[in-house]
Amino acid sequence: MKKFNIKKDVERRFLMLSVLKGLSFGVLSWRLFDLQVIENKKYDKLSKDNQFNFSLVVPERGEIYDRKGRVLAANRDAFSLYIKSSENLNIDQILFKLMSITNLNEDDINDFKIRYRDLYKNNVNIFMTDNLSQRDISKIAVRLHEFPEVNFLMTKKRVYPQGAITGHLIGYTGKLTEKDLQKNKNLINFSNLRIGKYGLEKFFDKKLRGEFGRRRQEVNARGKIITSNLYEKPNPGKNLNISIDLNIQSYALSRLQNIKSNKLEYNEPETGSVIVMDVNTGELLCCVSSPNFNPNIFSRGIKSREWKTLINNKKAPLLNRAVSGLYPPGSTIKMAVALAALESGVIGYDSKFFCNGVKEYGDMKFHCWHKYGHGNINLSQAIERSCDVFFYELGLKVGIEKIGSMLKKLGLSANINLELNELRRGLVPSKKWKLEVKGTSWTPGETINASIGQGYMLSNPIELTTMVARIANSEMSIEPTLLSNKKQKFSKLDINKNHLTYIKSAMSNVVNNEFGTAYKSKLKNKNIKMAGKTGTVQVIRISEEEREKGIVKNKDREWNKRDHALFVGYAPLDNPKYSICVIVEHGGSGSTTAAPIARDVISKLLI
Amino acid sequence: MLSYKNKFYKPDGILKKLLKIDWFLLFLVLIICIIGFGALYSAGDGNLNPWALNHLYKIIMGFLIVFILSQFKINFIVKFSVIFYLFCVLCLIYVIYFGVGDVKRWIDLKYFFFQPSELTKVSVILLLAKFFTDYPTNSSNLLYNLFAMLLVLFPGFLIINQPDLGTGSMLIILGFSIIFLNGLSLNVIFSMIIVSLISLPIIWQNLLDYQKYRILVFLNPELDTLGKGYQIMQSKIAIGSGGIFGKGYLAGSQSRLDFLPEKHTDFVFTLISEEMGFIGSLLVIILYLLINLILMREFLKEENLTNKILIFGVSFLIFLYVIFNIGMVSGLIPVVGAPLPFISNGGTSLITIFIGIGIIQSIRVSRNV
Repeated sequence: MKKFNIKKDVERRFLMLSVLKGLSFGVLSWRLFDLQVIENKKYDKLSKDNQFNFSLVVPERGEIYDRKGRVLAANRDAFSLYIKSSENLNIDQILFKLMSITNLNEDDINDFKIRYRDLYKNNVNIFMTDNLSQRDISKIAVRLHEFPEVNFLMTKKRVYPQGAITGHLIGYTGKLTEKDLQKNKNLINFSNLRIGKYGLEKFFDKKLRGEFGRRRQEVNARGKIITSNLYEKPNPGKNLNISIDLNIQSYALSRLQNIKSNKLEYNEPETGSVIVMDVNTGELLCCVSSPNFNPNIFSRGIKSREWKTLINNKKAPLLNRAVSGLYPPGSTIKMAVALAALESGVIGYDSKFFCNGVKEYGDMKFHCWHKYGHGNINLSQAIERSCDVFFYELGLKVGIEKIGSMLKKLGLSANINLELNELRRGLVPSKKWKLEVKGTSWTPGETINASIGQGYMLSNPIELTTMVARIANSEMSIEPTLLSNKKQKFSKLDINKNHLTYIKSAMSNVVNNEFGTAYKSKLKNKNIKMAGKTGTVQVIRISEEEREKGIVKNKDREWNKRDHALFVGYAPLDNPKYSICVIVEHGGSGSTTAAPIARDVISKLLI
Repeated sequence: MLSYKNKFYKPDGILKKLLKIDWFLLFLVLIICIIGFGALYSAGDGNLNPWALNHLYKIIMGFLIVFILSQFKINFIVKFSVIFYLFCVLCLIYVIYFGVGDVKRWIDLKYFFFQPSELTKVSVILLLAKFFTDYPTNSSNLLYNLFAMLLVLFPGFLIINQPDLGTGSMLIILGFSIIFLNGLSLNVIFSMIIVSLISLPIIWQNLLDYQKYRILVFLNPELDTLGKGYQIMQSKIAIGSGGIFGKGYLAGSQSRLDFLPEKHTDFVFTLISEEMGFIGSLLVIILYLLINLILMREFLKEENLTNKILIFGVSFLIFLYVIFNIGMVSGLIPVVGAPLPFISNGGTSLITIFIGIGIIQSIRVSRNV
């Protein structure tokens, strides 16, 4: 009886345990169903992440050509030095040995040491430098058996065959930095990637860079690569054809840097810029800034000493004066003031003002450059001889607002979409601007100053070139561009044709009439004529006392206290093709320094 | 019934006895063994070495053990249970002083490493079967049951001390299940559960920091991202990425690229799941379920209490191995290091399970000679 009970008991307990077993098997099956069917996608991705490493394949950077197909920026094959890391490598000894036979850049070595410290445990090839000369490479290659950890890899290196001639325009590329990544979220963090840092390289960086390809590597748990193949082809960067004509560019640069006069004291190149624009398309044929720099030093990795010299140079060779140099435009805007006056009808073509050399307004005296005055002259003569007093009177009649809107219509301080990030906008002051920025109201004396392009007014050479191009074109609001074949659409230039014709003939007189300020710079070829306007910009105030003692001549002043020399113009006279702007910082007067350069560059273009 | 009482072994009846063996059960075991061979062939990147061929030898040895054990009367085998148990316990004490391996778990027998903790599982089943039938006192008697528990806990703690928490706890769960089966009073069970729950915080407070950390890692492997946490994560990735149909035989990226730890022993199921998908893993589970169902039928058919306990013990042992192993690799339970029966390339554990199968065959053959 008792035994039977035990048996029964045992079987009941057995069934209980069997239910437990069944449940357990059920739970296991469910768990596997959950992992393998429901959550499959998640784990499949994790598994692929384990299995594959994707490395980026850098696309070849697009090349840059001038308007005639001459190479301005290209890629050259170069060797990169890599060091294969491992846990027990005496890296300092290897570096010491490498340094003893080659000229390794110190910055490269320091960068490498940081990379090495971060990566050496992964047993990978760590980038060292791509700045070795052919000599150094062959030195290492010969002794490669002494450096079993050293590998060479073919890479591309950016080269600028024209060097400093197009330095400011083309710019340069540099290593991707943390700052770049913060600024541009779309950039892929890839060490060794070089991105545009200046000039066109920067502006068109995305287009020139192309798109990364991907290499897929199967790696095992210890990080060893099992297979490797190209998964996505890189998309090479697009080439760029720019509007610059290398011939003109190099001629203008050498002409600017080798001004004959005043060369005794200064051996440094002149500072300034020369811009030539096609007045029908807006294309820039030449855009020169001096002093300049050779962008190739950035390609090979600039040494800190070189960088310091560039940065500490007082003449700022890294500055592209043609687009970011801001100057008071001086007399070069007299055409704009005249047009504002004609458009508003305050004077006619034959209205005259009397210039006795000084304009007194209240207790202030405003002098003309001509100490004894120009006498009774009309508008055309005033432009031709650049009479200041005439424009003082005119400015007071027209008012600053109308002058300002005409200047903006002609491109000064306007939205210019030039393809350079370095572009800095000029300043055309107004009553509103004065009140907002200076906090005081506009005075007539400031209008007097503004009507000869002094005072608060600032403009960059590109704006001045655009202004002349619009006057010369007379039809359209020409916009400058650095691209060839951009096929821009311009809006109409809404200025009375007769007024423009009148102003253009006055500009012609500046160069071609014997009283003109730039008469000495008329083209030597009699069939082609140039029109223009000179400008001499004071950089220091001359007090009445100094004026009475007699003004100190430019060449006797310190360099940075001399006047800026400006010239704007266009040619040929009858069927304008090119507008030009020449600025020589502290170069003296516009007629003696800037106009001859313009004459020579235009001659080079047209003759 | 009377005729065989004095004859434990009859050499002239080998064929007769072999015919009485449960061939269907052995067939299922063989199928699982073949799956194991295939998995180990894949684990060796499509090579017979180092594991697949070795596994084949062990399987052959295992089946030989089954056939040899089936020739003995079950009573004869049970007679040795005390000696067998003492032998195992002595071995467990021996490894404390002379064991090899970083955790002192094995005895070096020149040709293979012997792991006494595995063998102890079978010996406990045999000993408890003998104990409960030799002294069939009131099964709810507390002292009586406490003694049985002591028989389990003593080797159990020796093993946990090695330290091998997986094998030790499995042994204790196995022994306690048998004691439960024999009719341990439910009151005792409940009071034991309450006592242990109360004592848990006290024990926890008296543990040293590193011991606490070990237990925390044990319970939540993800705390140890480089060690066990990494293993479990990779194992889950392998299983999960297998999908319904798997990545294909010999094409499991996780195992081929060595992301799977111990893919030839404890984590072999992961490899099958990755390459054969949910279909493959379900098939393996169904096969183990079938073996358990066969043993269940065998249990219900059996009249003798000793044999009932033995059959239950063996079936529960196989069940525990499967649950511990698959539960561990799929991240359900902590990492305890349990092999998968007939598939993992283990040594002593494989032999232990085959001895269990052999005991079942011996019971069948002994039944109606």
